[in-house]
Amino acid sequence: MKNSKKFLALALALVMVFGLVACTDGKTNPTAPADPTEKVDPTPDANPTEAADPTDAPAGPNADDIDDNMTSEDGKYQVAFITDVGQLKDKSFNQGTFDGVKLYAAANGKSYKYYQPANGDQATDDDRYDAMKAAVEGGAEVVVCAGFMQEAALKKAAAEFPEVPFVFIDGYPIGLDNVAGISFQEEQSGYLAGYAAVKEGFTKLGFTGGGGGTNPACCRFGYGFVQGANAAAAELGVNVQINYSWEYGAAFQASPELQSMVSGWYETGTEVVFACGGSMFQSVVAAASANDGAVIGVDVDQSFESETVITSAMKGLSSAVQWAVAKVYDGTFSDIGGQGTSLGAKDDAVGLPTATWSLKGMNVDDYNALLAKIVDGSVSIDADYEANFGQTYSNVTVTVI
Amino acid sequence: MSFLIQQTLLYAVPLMLVALAGVFAERSGIINLALEGIMIFGAFVGVFFVRLMQGVDVFASAAKSGGWLTLQGLELLAMLVAAALGAVFSLLLSFASVNLRADQTIGGTALNLMAPALVLFLVRVIANQNTLQMATGDAASWFMIKKTTLGFDRTADLGFFGNTFIHKVYLATYVCILLFVVLSIILYKTRFGLRLRSCGENPQAADSLGINVYKMRYAGTTISGALAGMGGFVYALTTANCASTGDVAGFGFLALAVMIFGNWKPLNIAGASLLFGLFKCIAASYTSIDINGDGVFWLKELSAKVSFFGAHFYRMLPYIVTLIVLAFTSKKSRAPKAEGVPYDKGMR
Repeated sequence: MKNSKKFLALALALVMVFGLVACTDGKTNPTAPADPTEKVDPTPDANPTEAADPTDAPAGPNADDIDDNMTSEDGKYQVAFITDVGQLKDKSFNQGTFDGVKLYAAANGKSYKYYQPANGDQATDDDRYDAMKAAVEGGAEVVVCAGFMQEAALKKAAAEFPEVPFVFIDGYPIGLDNVAGISFQEEQSGYLAGYAAVKEGFTKLGFTGGGGGTNPACCRFGYGFVQGANAAAAELGVNVQINYSWEYGAAFQASPELQSMVSGWYETGTEVVFACGGSMFQSVVAAASANDGAVIGVDVDQSFESETVITSAMKGLSSAVQWAVAKVYDGTFSDIGGQGTSLGAKDDAVGLPTATWSLKGMNVDDYNALLAKIVDGSVSIDADYEANFGQTYSNVTVTVI
Repeated sequence: MSFLIQQTLLYAVPLMLVALAGVFAERSGIINLALEGIMIFGAFVGVFFVRLMQGVDVFASAAKSGGWLTLQGLELLAMLVAAALGAVFSLLLSFASVNLRADQTIGGTALNLMAPALVLFLVRVIANQNTLQMATGDAASWFMIKKTTLGFDRTADLGFFGNTFIHKVYLATYVCILLFVVLSIILYKTRFGLRLRSCGENPQAADSLGINVYKMRYAGTTISGALAGMGGFVYALTTANCASTGDVAGFGFLALAVMIFGNWKPLNIAGASLLFGLFKCIAASYTSIDINGDGVFWLKELSAKVSFFGAHFYRMLPYIVTLIVLAFTSKKSRAPKAEGVPYDKGMR
């Protein structure tokens, strides 16, 4: 019996040690070595031309070539990034935003660091606040916070550290002068994707979004997608069916259930699915690949991730972050601080990736013409999904699942 | 219908295999609560192995040129590796419960706590994130067998059986079923099986007949660990796009439930897993299930008409059904008599 107790104690101690290690590692990544072999994505060479978005398409350094972790000599990190729910390398929202941080920091010789709020997808406002506080105490001169869920934590942190500028991506003004809310007109991007999909000849579409229908960005993407599909369907004189679902997306994660559901859609005739929610993309791609279906990516150009991706509804996360952080360093942050800035087609901040264009139903010129119409306002896209999403569309039947 | 059968198998087969893993351990007299932990570990090992092998020329070029036999070989190899390391991982349990005569429930729980932490730790070290994925491509394009891989035309109609069993399937599913059958036969029809079972019922009597109880128990848990590790990888491969996240959605615990509700008998276990898999599949995709192929989706229509039968109802269904069946069958079920009792030669 004595032996068994010893073993038990040892096993429990091991469990605690491993648990602790996992926790601290997840929280602040304290000892991140600047070891090039620790590079996250082993496949950067698969996408040498990857440009994070259309606006910074000119050949700059590839964000994937910049290490996610760096060690600053004085132990201070000037540009801090607080992740949204979901993981850093989601190949979508978090990653796209962090790419902006990395690109700016690398180009301007700043130190940078990402902070992942504790408890992963169950992160509370306190966890986010703790991450922000850790960032400020770690010497942050600007803190980039991704995702509208950071609001409550931001209110607390930004009030406590009024001298530190915060950039609130996918956000809005929260009444504090040191917080710049930056949002995107995702409905325009979704519109373009929906329009292109129907022009491609697809009549049965799917939309699966993250955040359970409470994430404004995903809602705008979805509403725009339906409007775009409707516009193209009206032009072509066809009827389009859309399966529209928020199921299994609350945590922006891949899951077997999501994969089954989307497989079922493809099985019953759905041709293309708009995967609008971070890592949910993995499940949708798995289902599409099994059923020879097509996928529309989100936030960044995801065509490098899978051959099933026909296009991506992008928003210029990376360029918006660089633009906002630059304002901090050239002393013009007060222009955007305390206000909300909404970036859309007119700012070249939303759109489809033209560099990797593979659609045949419309070509890049058609796309640019449509984009110009959105910019000059002759094609108007409604963003008020709360009031108008449930309308009857002339050529689209939306089945909410 | 084909869709329903295929998806049901995807959920049922890992469950079935892991429940059989539980049977092997418990029939030899050791409660293997660590099934969940071993699955998580096995999933990680398999995914990591696939990820490493994707960089090897043979497999990378096979994926490009459609050399699907090579890729199936890789799949089998990954299953073997997951099984081998699952077995090694389970040795911790065997050692604690056979040599140290520790409480098996606590030993298993410790492994269950340790596995996700260990795996997440390793995943973070390897990939610097919470999910370990394939380096390139996705599980379906690398490992799934479709009619086009077999040389049929994309539009060819293979009939009901062809469409169901050789199109959009994973070889792993069939290997697991085969393994399940073979191991069930071994458990019931061979000398080894009889000896193993006797150690779970009356180890003292078995010992008096010259059977080495310790060896048998080691064999039982090691087979159990191998099966659970393999099951974990198969789960990750077929339902999670070959990704390891330190989580198998509680399938290990479900397997324990299935084992109990299958009364520690392989045939009942197969039935129970299929039942659970069926409802799990219905829960996830009830909107696109057309049971008799007449174009009427009555589950979807039902949920549209009656709000009670909404998505949440379907999601509860697999667990409610499990509870109900358990309530009716548990009275008859009988655990191996000596399970959970450390064998002590001196107690004879």
